[in-house]
Amino acid sequence: MLLVTYDLWAFVSEHWRELLDGLVNTLKASAIAIAGSLVIGAVLGAARAHRIPVVSQLTAVYVEIIRNTPILVQIFMYFFALPQVGIRLDGFTVAWLSVMIWGGAFNSENFRAGFEAVPFRYREASSALGFSPFGTFLNVTLPIGGRISLPSSINTYISVIKNTSLMYVIGYEELTTTAINISNLSLETLEALSVLAIVYLALVWSLSAGIRVLENRLALPETR
Amino acid sequence: MPDWVEPIARYILTEGLPGTLQVSAIAVVGSAIIGVLFGTLLTIDFRPSRALIRLYVEVFRGLPILVTVFVVYLGLPTVSRSLEFSPLNAAAIALVLWGSAQVAEATRGAVQSIPNEQHEAASALGFGWVGRHRSVILPQALRRLLPPAVGLLVNIVQNSTLAQTIGGIEILQAAKSQSERLTFFPPAGIGEIHAFEIFTGVMILFFLISFPLTRLAAILEKRLVV
Repeated sequence: MLLVTYDLWAFVSEHWRELLDGLVNTLKASAIAIAGSLVIGAVLGAARAHRIPVVSQLTAVYVEIIRNTPILVQIFMYFFALPQVGIRLDGFTVAWLSVMIWGGAFNSENFRAGFEAVPFRYREASSALGFSPFGTFLNVTLPIGGRISLPSSINTYISVIKNTSLMYVIGYEELTTTAINISNLSLETLEALSVLAIVYLALVWSLSAGIRVLENRLALPETR
Repeated sequence: MPDWVEPIARYILTEGLPGTLQVSAIAVVGSAIIGVLFGTLLTIDFRPSRALIRLYVEVFRGLPILVTVFVVYLGLPTVSRSLEFSPLNAAAIALVLWGSAQVAEATRGAVQSIPNEQHEAASALGFGWVGRHRSVILPQALRRLLPPAVGLLVNIVQNSTLAQTIGGIEILQAAKSQSERLTFFPPAGIGEIHAFEIFTGVMILFFLISFPLTRLAAILEKRLVV
């Protein structure tokens, strides 16, 4: 018979410092990646929606490469393969960079769909009012299309947070790596897994709830 | 081509690829069966079953898949010895838990998108609940599920690389062990680093599997738009 002792409270009170550091690292990497993929998504999504030559085609190639290869292999590329060609990135850099590049690709598709959903007559009206093409984008397409793409882009950010757990493979001490490392030493496996499940579900569920609130608050007047 | 390429490519394709295919096949079949069943049950107005399945769906969609992999591979054996799985099977089970949650949610949407008249017409023809769903509702709903199902297949194949994290020999693990072997001095290796070429090859391999499927999903999606 296997002897199973389960004491979540003892586990947390003994290891809360390391776990908190891990969570902070998860949040730091996620925050940088989310901000970066927001910018990448908006800029490249706009280039795609407006069919800007060269940039638009290069974006399509970027999106297809990221979408059609596993993110774990991408992380291996940055951490294990790039040093061979003289590019050495530390764990933290790979952590935010890999999920930022991944999230940026998905986000550029989200924004492209949002921008393309803005009716053409809005842009016509805007140029009739004397806005330059860039002014039209900034004042009409971005605020309206951005709102249309908000739910799908928040879903991408949720995936970005979840994907930071993959930094386990490069040993970067975010939440998952920290909890698994502790459990390898203390054998409190179930406690460590419980902490992971509770923290990730709390993060993901509260963001999903946030989407629903935002969807209502930011819905375009005609769809409300 | 240099001498080291051929044996490594062969190892990845004969030792790694079958692992990836094994995990993907189990995950696809398991997700489809459990997901369609749970998704259909979600449309029934019976609170206890709906609440339980909803919890299942939200938990396994919410957790990072890596955490689910660890729960299956590290967590279950501490509960009971009989729940010990090989790395490839543990990864496959974790992908079934995640994939079936995705399929259940999609199935619920597809079943509820079938107009109520279809239910009524089927009942009028004398079908019971099971016959109505088996012969009338699900055949229509499953066609609407086709494009997201192809997308899920791509995700499952890509996420089968998670088996690497627990030592399952699939494409990525095969490539990693070979790229490490090369760095050893002869006779084991050749004392050279070729990680860049090897992992680029792995990316190309996955791209060749995924790209036709994502194209197919896009085409199916366009065809279903009336």
